[in-house]
Amino acid sequence: MKMEAFNDRNVADNGYFLVDIEDYPTDGWGKFKRVVKRSFRGELFVGLWVVMREMIRFDIHTVQYPQEKMPIGPRYRAVHQMKRLWESDTERCIGCGLCEKICISDCIRIDTKIDENSRKEVSEYTINLGRCIFCGYCAEVCPELAITHGGEYENASDQREHFILYEDMLTPIDTMKAGKQLEFEGFGSITPHEDERVKKTPLAY
Amino acid sequence: MSKIINFKIDGKEVTAQKGETILQVARKNDIYIPTMCYISKTSPCASCRICSVEVEGVDGFILSCNTPPTEGIEVKTNSQELELERTNIMKLYDVNHPLECGVCDKSGECDLQNMTLEFGVSQQEFSAKDQHRTVKEWGVINYDPALCIMCEKCVHVCNEVIGDDAIDVKFGGYSSSIIPKNADTLDCTFCGECIAVCPVGALVSSDFKYSANAWELSRIPSTCAHCSAGCSLEYEVKHGSDRTQNANSIYRVKNNYEFTTLCGAGRFGFDFQNSAQKDEAAFNKAVETLKSANAIRFSSMITNEEAHILQLLKEKLGVKLFNEDARLYGEFMSAYSSISGKLHHSGSLDAIKQADAAIVFGTRIATDNPMVRYALRTASQHNGAKIVYAHPMEDALMKNTATQLMKYEAGSEEGVIALLANELLQNVDIDESSRAFLDDLDLGYLEAESNIGDDELKSMSKAFTRAHKRVLIVGSDLFAHSRAKNIAKLVALIEKYTDFSLVVVPNEVNTAGVSLLCELDRDENIADVVGYNAAGDFVLSSLKEADLAMPALNQVEGSVVNVDNQVLPLNVALAFDGYNLNDLANALGMQKENTIEYTKELSTAKGFKAVAFDALENFYSVYGEDVRGYLLDEVTCEGDGKIEEVAELPEFNGTVIYHCNPVLQFNQFTNKTKQLEKDTTLRGSAQFAAAARISDGDEVEIRFASKTIKRLFKQDDELKGTIALNPSFDMTADFSQYRFEKSKIVRVV
Repeated sequence: MKMEAFNDRNVADNGYFLVDIEDYPTDGWGKFKRVVKRSFRGELFVGLWVVMREMIRFDIHTVQYPQEKMPIGPRYRAVHQMKRLWESDTERCIGCGLCEKICISDCIRIDTKIDENSRKEVSEYTINLGRCIFCGYCAEVCPELAITHGGEYENASDQREHFILYEDMLTPIDTMKAGKQLEFEGFGSITPHEDERVKKTPLAY
Repeated sequence: MSKIINFKIDGKEVTAQKGETILQVARKNDIYIPTMCYISKTSPCASCRICSVEVEGVDGFILSCNTPPTEGIEVKTNSQELELERTNIMKLYDVNHPLECGVCDKSGECDLQNMTLEFGVSQQEFSAKDQHRTVKEWGVINYDPALCIMCEKCVHVCNEVIGDDAIDVKFGGYSSSIIPKNADTLDCTFCGECIAVCPVGALVSSDFKYSANAWELSRIPSTCAHCSAGCSLEYEVKHGSDRTQNANSIYRVKNNYEFTTLCGAGRFGFDFQNSAQKDEAAFNKAVETLKSANAIRFSSMITNEEAHILQLLKEKLGVKLFNEDARLYGEFMSAYSSISGKLHHSGSLDAIKQADAAIVFGTRIATDNPMVRYALRTASQHNGAKIVYAHPMEDALMKNTATQLMKYEAGSEEGVIALLANELLQNVDIDESSRAFLDDLDLGYLEAESNIGDDELKSMSKAFTRAHKRVLIVGSDLFAHSRAKNIAKLVALIEKYTDFSLVVVPNEVNTAGVSLLCELDRDENIADVVGYNAAGDFVLSSLKEADLAMPALNQVEGSVVNVDNQVLPLNVALAFDGYNLNDLANALGMQKENTIEYTKELSTAKGFKAVAFDALENFYSVYGEDVRGYLLDEVTCEGDGKIEEVAELPEFNGTVIYHCNPVLQFNQFTNKTKQLEKDTTLRGSAQFAAAARISDGDEVEIRFASKTIKRLFKQDDELKGTIALNPSFDMTADFSQYRFEKSKIVRVV
């Protein structure tokens, strides 16, 4: 398309036309006439008839929310999920703090410490969903694919504190045991041909 | 004398001073040569070989870190061969290096990470059978041999700069590691400098381990508030995750290890902050009390600005100011000035580092001021400095640094300095009255009473004959000595007529500043004394128990004067919600919004500059220049003092107590910290135990002339003689009295 069409401001020549609008009534008698005219034209029943007709046909096109929900794309950014490792069922998060650092609405808080096995343990992890703008940076920066966005977009509660619970985000252990943890398929996830692309460490000693 | 060598690096004409290496010259000229094991403040480790360069006409590579250039050579820092060599070295470093960057404490500031990325090592061709290596826990230091790349920086620093010489390399090819020297576990002063220099996460602070990452911490440059060295440091703070009190806390302390050193008290003793809310009732009471107070007693752990406020309060309210520590130091320095004709001593820590001869006198320096000890160690290792350690007690920490121990009797300091002056000024042209003083000395009496032999003085002179950068270091034993003024005059005499530069080591972080800024009164036992971090009828304190809580030195802005006479800025690492001294001053009629508005008003007559606080820099340049605060201007004054006759030397017999802190402890603030060891035992030798009729582990009562304290006795085999060490960091002793005290020791049964 050429730019002329946009630059041409002569609207009358491009299929636009003026709608013939009656003048507004100025006196009481005129207003009364307009009310009578509109009321007895029967336009109201046109709309009612459309609704009636569709009701009788039972041909429903709308999604029956909340019984029915639209499928969510794998990259949809709703409430975060904390994933577990397939091998050991332990939490994937290693406490590197990158999500906390990158978070532009400053809603992630993480505390780490050394545990009894001399490993790094995440002692506290919270996301204030009341502040979160669901930009997805935390999931993108995560080196372990531990934090991802899930499809859970129904977050309404009567308590603000309900929006920061780590336990709600973490894959429940029974889901994990059942092998039903959904893997994230968005940015940074394992691609199908990953095995062929890996540079192997030489072990010829 | 200095010879200049002209040569070329990458085609650029450069010049080197005699003794400089190619790497040093390159760095000075902003030419980049990668290094892994090089550290500016030690001799080259030469273990990484990454700094290899090519020299035209010479076969093979040359290590730029330890090779001095010769006239006219052409150095090439980059070529394909060098690139390959360096990349291969990096690959070898990466062999079996654990891929735990995500959790490693060093990640984000790791030299191995940086250099691996710099050389683009993305694939490994080398391999070695991995070994099981366990993490070693050495108190506040953790060592993970699996992460260690054997750069040997820690060993060099420990030996050359600190002087502990506590760690060593266990050679064994691929299974080499760092081990405690001649011991099963690490036994050292725990300065933690090895942690600072470690380029990877092998040596880490056990308290900090896994608690935060480099990228999460904000750095606040400040000055260490524990002793008079005033070391540069950075507090690293992060918010806690506790939402109810979303306050920051200090996670660790770091230093610019390339050019500066930090002792363990600075590195591990950072959590001495105070916390309080605004208590209006207490504040009003404090204001009322100050209005009717007779005196303010305070410690020297305050900033120059606060000292200035106190002086203004004195002028306004007519209160007296008590601070025995700074008063005695000030009197010592004014006696010094009366001979030298200037306000400030001439030496500095840098002068000690560059010295080739030094006398340490009247201070147990390794614990009084670790930085002086490190500087002496550097001088001894790098310049082969002859160091005379004159003190009534041997110090195991100075054993491998000092070349001559000059052991004198406690209390005989005046005689010792007279003997030293007599020896050092022998063939020097000095003024008549001083010469007459020296000629009149009864050397036989002084030598007999101070227990310093003529041969000791002669051997010192002999060792010093070829030295031309000499330093005299004097310290806190002298300030409260009954003959302090005359000692100061003799010290000044040595500085004035010889090439000795003088370092007077103040007791506390800002003793020097307080003594310059306040007109102090002699402490007396009167009513209505307001104490500021000191005893009083109404106590303002940044320690625990106080009538009005005050911020600690890591919560205030301000400046302090250190041993180098350098005015150094302190910054706010942690917020303090309560009131501070400036609020009190404002309530009493002064009008400054912030304490730091006083910075530019500090007395120029004492050498301070009219510089605003915000104009004070606080960093080291990439070339290692100290750009922190400013040096006090030299101020001349009248030098019309007369040296008095040496008084009769006192005798200290029987069980003598020396008030002396264990390593890493200085005052009540270090006593408050979590990580520093708090050893409050009385430590004495077997001889002392026999003399006092006590044995190891006994609970004893120490009776001094004025008071009695209780201690656990610990027999220390490193000590000798009948003098025992009593820690004073828990305020069993202050700086108002001579540090050696006669005592009666009684076992508590």
